[in-house]
Amino acid sequence: MSRERILDAAVNRIAADGIDDVRIARIAMDAGVSTALVHYHFATREALLAEALVHSFDRAGDTRTEGGEGLRGMIEQCLPLPGEQEQDWVLWVELWLRAVRHPELRPTAAKLYERMHEWFKEAIEEELPDADPDATADLILALIDGYGIRALLGDPAMPLERAREAVWGALAPLPTPQ
Amino acid sequence: MSPRPSTAHVRRPAILTAAAEVISERGVQNTRISDVAARAGTSAPGVLYWFPSKDALLAEALTFSDDRFYDSLTGELQGLDSATERLRRLVELWPAEGDGETVLWMELWVRALHDPELAKTRERLDGRWRDAIADVVREGQASGEFGGDDADDLALLLGAVMDGYAIQLALGDPAVSMDTVRRHCLQLAMRGVEHGEGAMEQA
Repeated sequence: MSRERILDAAVNRIAADGIDDVRIARIAMDAGVSTALVHYHFATREALLAEALVHSFDRAGDTRTEGGEGLRGMIEQCLPLPGEQEQDWVLWVELWLRAVRHPELRPTAAKLYERMHEWFKEAIEEELPDADPDATADLILALIDGYGIRALLGDPAMPLERAREAVWGALAPLPTPQ
Repeated sequence: MSPRPSTAHVRRPAILTAAAEVISERGVQNTRISDVAARAGTSAPGVLYWFPSKDALLAEALTFSDDRFYDSLTGELQGLDSATERLRRLVELWPAEGDGETVLWMELWVRALHDPELAKTRERLDGRWRDAIADVVREGQASGEFGGDDADDLALLLGAVMDGYAIQLALGDPAVSMDTVRRHCLQLAMRGVEHGEGAMEQA
């Protein structure tokens, strides 16, 4: 399906080159199609890029809901581990930024946060019965983002291994139900 | 022709303030040097004289804004009697709702992903904020007001959590309000100085 190949190629290019430097011609080449076909499927560059971001999260969202390894494993799956997860992260950060300025993208970002919130909430209710599940889920997401972005940026204070331990460790003194 | 160096104290801040506004509104990619110049009431060469690129404008605008924040912070914190009050104040002073600055930080993160120089700038600015938090924690530990272990670890935790929540706020997540965020961050901070951050043995 050429539309999906184009989106896959766009996702890879955005992660590699940064969304602002992505070239349609390059995406077309990577996807093995003509630029004309790209324009056929996507009216504008903005439309292609926005859809590529959404596409990458539809892909990633499926992997994430496969959980079942417990809270700790779930946190792992959300950090920028090398490989596809790291690529997802780069795209996620690009989506954040774009969504702040383009309200039409916010539902996409909000949907992913909501999915992750519910996903974590279930595990929290099971594993941490004394904790406030909503507040703890919020906290986990904030920790993953805050530590994750630092790990992704290669901050010497927060290598990935440390991010894993730090998110998990921060859950120890838990928010109690109000 | 006016002597340029003597207008430095007026010109540079005006350009940086303008840059912060324009970049916040449009993003670095859609900001032209001439946009910043127009906002600052000067010319494009006038901007380029001080800042060689848009990325430099972003980095310097954030540094400038941070400098002003720390100047006023010192005064504010000095007026408070206890370390607890100072820590609370720090968390409270962190970016207000609707603040255009969160989006500037996000621009910096995104561009830092592909630019090592900007990554270093981000590290430096982040380090300054974390040091400010750690200093207050250490003061409290020294005076016996606070327990806990590593002030730097707690500062890193608070910095990370605040960034994470800032993103949710910037995205206009309806489930997350500024009040809720402040409350959670304060709780986390207070717990950290009671039990110590990362005290897994208490789980």
